[in-house]
Amino acid sequence: MNVTAIIMFFLFVGITLAITIWASKRTKTRSDFYAAGKSIGGFQNGLAIAGDFMSAATFLGVTALVYSTGMDGMLFIIGGTLGWAVILLLVAERLRNLGQYTFSDVVAFRLERKPVRTMSAIGSLAVAIPYLLAQMVGAGALIQILFGLPYEVAVVLVGVLMTLYVMFGGMLATTWIQTIKAVLLLVGGTIIGFGVMSMMNFDFSELLTAAVKEHPKGPAILAPGVMFTDTITIISIGLAFVFGTAGLPHVLMRFFTVPNARQARRSVAYAIGFIGYFQSLIFIIGMGAVVYVTNNPEFLGPDGSLLGGSNMSAIHLSKVIGGDLFLGFISAVAFATILAVVSGLTLSAAAAVSHDLYANVMKDGNADRDTELRISRITTLVIGLATMALAILLEGENVAVLALIALAIAASVNFPVMFLSMYWSKFTTRGALAGGYAGLATSLILVMLGPTVWVTLFGFEEAVFPYRYPTLFAMLANLVFAWWFSVSDKSERARSEAESFGTQWIQSEIGPVQEKI
Amino acid sequence: MLSQADKDILANRDFQKLVTVRRRVSWSFLTVLLGLYLAFGLMSVYAPGVLARPVGSDGVVPVGIVMGYAILAMTFILTLIYVWLANSFFEPLERKINGGTR
Repeated sequence: MNVTAIIMFFLFVGITLAITIWASKRTKTRSDFYAAGKSIGGFQNGLAIAGDFMSAATFLGVTALVYSTGMDGMLFIIGGTLGWAVILLLVAERLRNLGQYTFSDVVAFRLERKPVRTMSAIGSLAVAIPYLLAQMVGAGALIQILFGLPYEVAVVLVGVLMTLYVMFGGMLATTWIQTIKAVLLLVGGTIIGFGVMSMMNFDFSELLTAAVKEHPKGPAILAPGVMFTDTITIISIGLAFVFGTAGLPHVLMRFFTVPNARQARRSVAYAIGFIGYFQSLIFIIGMGAVVYVTNNPEFLGPDGSLLGGSNMSAIHLSKVIGGDLFLGFISAVAFATILAVVSGLTLSAAAAVSHDLYANVMKDGNADRDTELRISRITTLVIGLATMALAILLEGENVAVLALIALAIAASVNFPVMFLSMYWSKFTTRGALAGGYAGLATSLILVMLGPTVWVTLFGFEEAVFPYRYPTLFAMLANLVFAWWFSVSDKSERARSEAESFGTQWIQSEIGPVQEKI
Repeated sequence: MLSQADKDILANRDFQKLVTVRRRVSWSFLTVLLGLYLAFGLMSVYAPGVLARPVGSDGVVPVGIVMGYAILAMTFILTLIYVWLANSFFEPLERKINGGTR
């Protein structure tokens, strides 16, 4: 048990619960609940967006990848940053100009509301729920190691806090929690990176030389190919990062919390700064872990492997840098990171149910405000309870497949449908449905037949589909179906949808048109 | 049917200029960034030796790591340029088109 970690953790929980109480008094309308009353400024939203992206998976997972593979980790570091350039250059301003609370608003702008919203709500849930579950299972295991709490207690703790934040504090509380955590993580990462560099006399070459000397694979870590060696896998990973990021519902929701397209643009610009900086640190932290953790008997189990697995490399490194005090700080930051990200995911899943499915599909967009808010809160509670139960059932299972499915669906369902609806005038409801469902089915089927499920979970000898990452094929399936079912659509509905593209195009370029006085 | 007001905007010279310039800027920035990333990915399969070759006099830091950091820096620089263009060029045009001279 680490006393600093416990104190820091209680401090964080106390502050975030206070924020939730404060936010709950200001959360009265739908716009408050889903979009923090559209009152967040660009700088803060940039921090919150960066916070959404800098999950435990990035901080601990990508550090672990650099720690074990060296240069191959660069594929993730670059891809993770480039996804944001896609959002800035193609999506952010248009999203804010066209939508209200969720990206489904944009897809349904000129296409037929009910079927299209149903599909994009399924797309949102198919990303948010598996991702949430993967984070919860990871969180349970991590907290077990960091704080010595039993797995079930850790899962329930995370689940209860996230449900409280979202149910009562809505987007306002979620944004503030994400902002605080982003600052903590940036500070923590900076201290680790700075610590590593100062022990290396601020000489990058010295760091790499020392890493080569300590790493079991030696000089191979300064060349590609330790982990990724085939083109299809590399392209699928690249596509998943570059376009999948722009299909994550909890990230897209953030663009509706700002007052206008200008602030949406500023948000991403700040986010790119924070994310790029953090990604630069990750490589240094990973290499630092190679130098100071790999052969350090303090962190090795009796069988010579790293205590807690390679995901713990960043945490162990923090102990080398700043002793127990700093280890406690970083452990608490890792916990805060998980809490903030699962809250954002829960909110986006709740919005898909209450705003898209209930208010727009079931009630034709005429839902009563209080009923819709009540439904979103009930959904939050249901999601909270269900994910806690599932996460406890999945203890010790390999949940990598869940994160894999989430990112594949984000890149092959949500992003292409949103992108085509924004840019392609001949995109029709029929094309959207065919493309979206084709992308969804292809992702799921290929993940099932791939090595992660077919071999690891089902125990077959050889995978039917040889690649771990299905993104390339699933994205292509979506685009081909969307294209064919749009151009071959000769219906009256298709004609009028193509005509109203002009109105949508104007609004996406210059914002809602103001009446001339 | 499109309203007359919408038709006017679509035919507006300023609107067409805004659309064309913004499209060119966005897509050329994206092409540069994604092209570099693709080059990195393809080289790690077909020309791993190039990425592993050290740069500089002390011969330690490999091309691949320099390239990785260069792409991060490039993303940041292009972001700043885009924001500058948007503030000083796109937005005034948007205001001019949307709401006339107000």
